[in-house]
Amino acid sequence: MSLSHSALEKLATFRVNNTRASQETFQNASTVLKSFKRLGDDGWAVLEQLFLASVDVGRLDVADECLRQLGKQFPHSPRVDVLTGIRMEATESPDVVLEYYAQLLDADSANAAIWKRKISVLRRTGKIEKAVEELLQLLDTFYTDVEGWLELADIYTSCNQYIPALQALSHVLLLAAQNPFYQLQFAETAYTAGDIPLALKAFLVAVEMSERDLSDKSPPVGISVRAWLGVKLCSRRLLLNSSPSASNTPVPKNLHLIEELATERVLGVYSSKNSASRAPEGRDVVVGWVGDR
Amino acid sequence: MLGTVLLTFAAITVLHAAFSTYEHLSHLKAMGRPEGSLPIDIIVEALFALICGTLGASLNAPPLKEISWAAEMRKRNIDEMDSRLGFASFVNRGRNLFSGPSSQTKLK
Repeated sequence: MSLSHSALEKLATFRVNNTRASQETFQNASTVLKSFKRLGDDGWAVLEQLFLASVDVGRLDVADECLRQLGKQFPHSPRVDVLTGIRMEATESPDVVLEYYAQLLDADSANAAIWKRKISVLRRTGKIEKAVEELLQLLDTFYTDVEGWLELADIYTSCNQYIPALQALSHVLLLAAQNPFYQLQFAETAYTAGDIPLALKAFLVAVEMSERDLSDKSPPVGISVRAWLGVKLCSRRLLLNSSPSASNTPVPKNLHLIEELATERVLGVYSSKNSASRAPEGRDVVVGWVGDR
Repeated sequence: MLGTVLLTFAAITVLHAAFSTYEHLSHLKAMGRPEGSLPIDIIVEALFALICGTLGASLNAPPLKEISWAAEMRKRNIDEMDSRLGFASFVNRGRNLFSGPSSQTKLK
């Protein structure tokens, strides 16, 4: 049975959006092993996707078969080397894998994909300082790598070092300027770091970016909800006690009005007019929280 | 459905106008006046078919999709944006959760 058209479309969407839905990919693509030649060029991309999904899900037999087919078709490809490394990571000890990567990096020292795998293994085995050092070197060489800056921010956040995380995220904002998700991450990291005026400004930018093209007054969906909740949180804190800003961000003038607007938008999401008959989940909690001054 | 009907009607009308033109020109050639102009009703028929066909194609168009950047961002989610697949760790609980009963060890 060959892949249906909708399954292929879904897999293509996963490839474009960098989704890591391994269980779903495995279910959709597991029949591709018999019929990938019919898919043409896309077949190899789907095979790679199936390989990664099956390693994630634990089906190493399927993964080995995919790797064998890919190796047969592309004999000396660096991309297949990365996949071989990933397969080794699943079963071998970290030292063996690091040695394999060191050998590949000796041959070609600017292979970004292998470098990233090495950093991932170092982070996974707990050698965080070495991982950060290597990651900083990688980002020195490949500045425009958004993934690398996000990984650096994630490592710093996991060690509770929020100021360096903010610095890494500011590079992300430079590189991916119109992305509301990264703006939201920056805002939430700023809030956690204690810089409330900066967090309020960033939450407002996130709201503007995600609701820019809406002309009607429909309630917020998706990350707008999270951004509006952040605006409410920051503005309420600033009204109660003005906190100093480590980045010297000025506080907006009409803080009361901003807070009222945020309350209105948040309550709009949890309003019982939206859903069919019952109130949405969590409505009592939200109403209690926003009404509490 | 109205769009498809109009479109088929327009296609038939165009073919009819074309066939009429062919017949008229061969008639002129047979009468020895190959440079004559087309009768006005064939031209009107062709223009009418054009208008009908345009209407039918517009009504038949698939529903419009949002193209603004903000609308595209509304379709994504945080897990996709933050997936960092180049650094993803493949040594996780997935092998214990998903691989199925045959590879789980049995408790004695």
